[in-house]
Amino acid sequence: MKKKSRISSVAAPVVSFLLIFFIWEMACVVNEIPAWFLPKPTEIFKSMVVDFPEFWPHILVTLEVVLIGFLIAIPVGLTIATLVTSSPLLNAAMSPYITFLVTTPLISLIPLLMLMMGYGLNMRITTVVIQSFAVINMNACTGFNNVPVIRKELMQSMGASPVKTFVKMTLPSAATDIFTGLRLAAIFATTTCISVEYSAGNTGLGSQIIKYSQYLKTTQSFACIFYVTIIGLIMYSLISIAQKKIVSWKE
Amino acid sequence: MKEPKIKFDHVTKIFETRNQSITAVKDYSMEIQEGEFVAILGPSGCGKSTLIRMLDGIIPTTSGDIYIDGQKVNHEKKKMPQEVLRKMGFIFQQPNMLPWFTVRQNISLPLQVFALKGAKWEKQVDELLEMVGLKEYANAYPSEISGGMLQRAGVIRAMVHDPEILLMDEPFGALDELTREQMNMELLDIWSKTGKTIVFITHNIEEAVLLSSRVYVMGTQPGRLVETVDLNLPRPRQLSMITQPEFIEYRQKLERFIGKIDLSKIK
Repeated sequence: MKKKSRISSVAAPVVSFLLIFFIWEMACVVNEIPAWFLPKPTEIFKSMVVDFPEFWPHILVTLEVVLIGFLIAIPVGLTIATLVTSSPLLNAAMSPYITFLVTTPLISLIPLLMLMMGYGLNMRITTVVIQSFAVINMNACTGFNNVPVIRKELMQSMGASPVKTFVKMTLPSAATDIFTGLRLAAIFATTTCISVEYSAGNTGLGSQIIKYSQYLKTTQSFACIFYVTIIGLIMYSLISIAQKKIVSWKE
Repeated sequence: MKEPKIKFDHVTKIFETRNQSITAVKDYSMEIQEGEFVAILGPSGCGKSTLIRMLDGIIPTTSGDIYIDGQKVNHEKKKMPQEVLRKMGFIFQQPNMLPWFTVRQNISLPLQVFALKGAKWEKQVDELLEMVGLKEYANAYPSEISGGMLQRAGVIRAMVHDPEILLMDEPFGALDELTREQMNMELLDIWSKTGKTIVFITHNIEEAVLLSSRVYVMGTQPGRLVETVDLNLPRPRQLSMITQPEFIEYRQKLERFIGKIDLSKIK
């Protein structure tokens, strides 16, 4: 029974994947849809392989911005969440600005950031950090605020120092919420990076999607979109793996 | 007379909320001698949990003084010093194990926090695990063992740094009847072997009579001391004693006090 369900959990998505692409392919062939309007999946996969040398530098740029931005956002988000939840004063002082960052559509900040920082990597990374740290921060705050009172009392009853309390009790208590934030932030980082590349500069997968669309090279455009999807998936699964490794206990 | 181990001198706790102030404990005084086993009995909301938390430095007092070994330990603002906290072990109503640590790591937590290192303390952990039959489960995680085992772990975690006082906040209230009776007997056994001072909070009259030498009865609104009852029952106590006339007499006496409280509440 268990084995059967495992097989179906692997086989089902593979079958549905193949089915969708088969229908897509057939729809293109039967209706003779031109490639500039909607390319056949087989053509897209072919382009992903054949044009790979052309895409590779851009894949690297996007990966670099997403990864560096995300890795900076983690300590920034966690530090701010720790400060905010440990002091009502800091919370009152900082929470309006974090809400401001979360509610302002990031796209509206991009021209301003471009003006101040140019088109380069720094500006892109900054944008990714701004967008993803806020999500990490919000979820970490939820986790820190939801630490059971009885666990705090346990640490208080021993007069544990703030650092010991944080490392041994607060951080692991909030781990599940923190990982939720990280997973969302990974998606946000990828999305933000592509948005920035749409409007700034001519490197990165985002800029290539725009470029190929303008030349009506829709097949190549789709190939780049698929690579973006792969980057998103890799980020998402890396975090899921890390979560399983780190949060190995049952509450 | 000897200095009392624990002394409450007109202790009051008022919680200020946004639109009202609630007196959780009002003008509470008591003296507990070294090695005594006392129970604090009262209905829920009588402030008994607040009382024991003030003693263990978790909740600051509003007014009045708390003394341990003649030394004033409470402060309205500052935290209780760690050398005072080291004299006490707190046992919670739930096992309150940290799920990311093994049973052994959980029990060793006070040693790490109080910075007690060395073979002597490691041996202490082993002996306590052995005492409550958890030796084989030392490397298990809390989610892998039963509720009774978890509560035993909670008891020995409070004892691992060798405190002189054990504070127990309805420690076996979440367990089933049979396990609770067994745990109570084990507790009496530990007490007679170690001679620690025990403050036991409960809302169960029978439990209070069975375990303690003196019962402080608390009432509600505001939480206050209503009556102190000394129990002249022989030691060691046994479960079979609950059917004896003296036991029943004490139980009925306490029931009357608790009953009085409930009546006054209805008015």
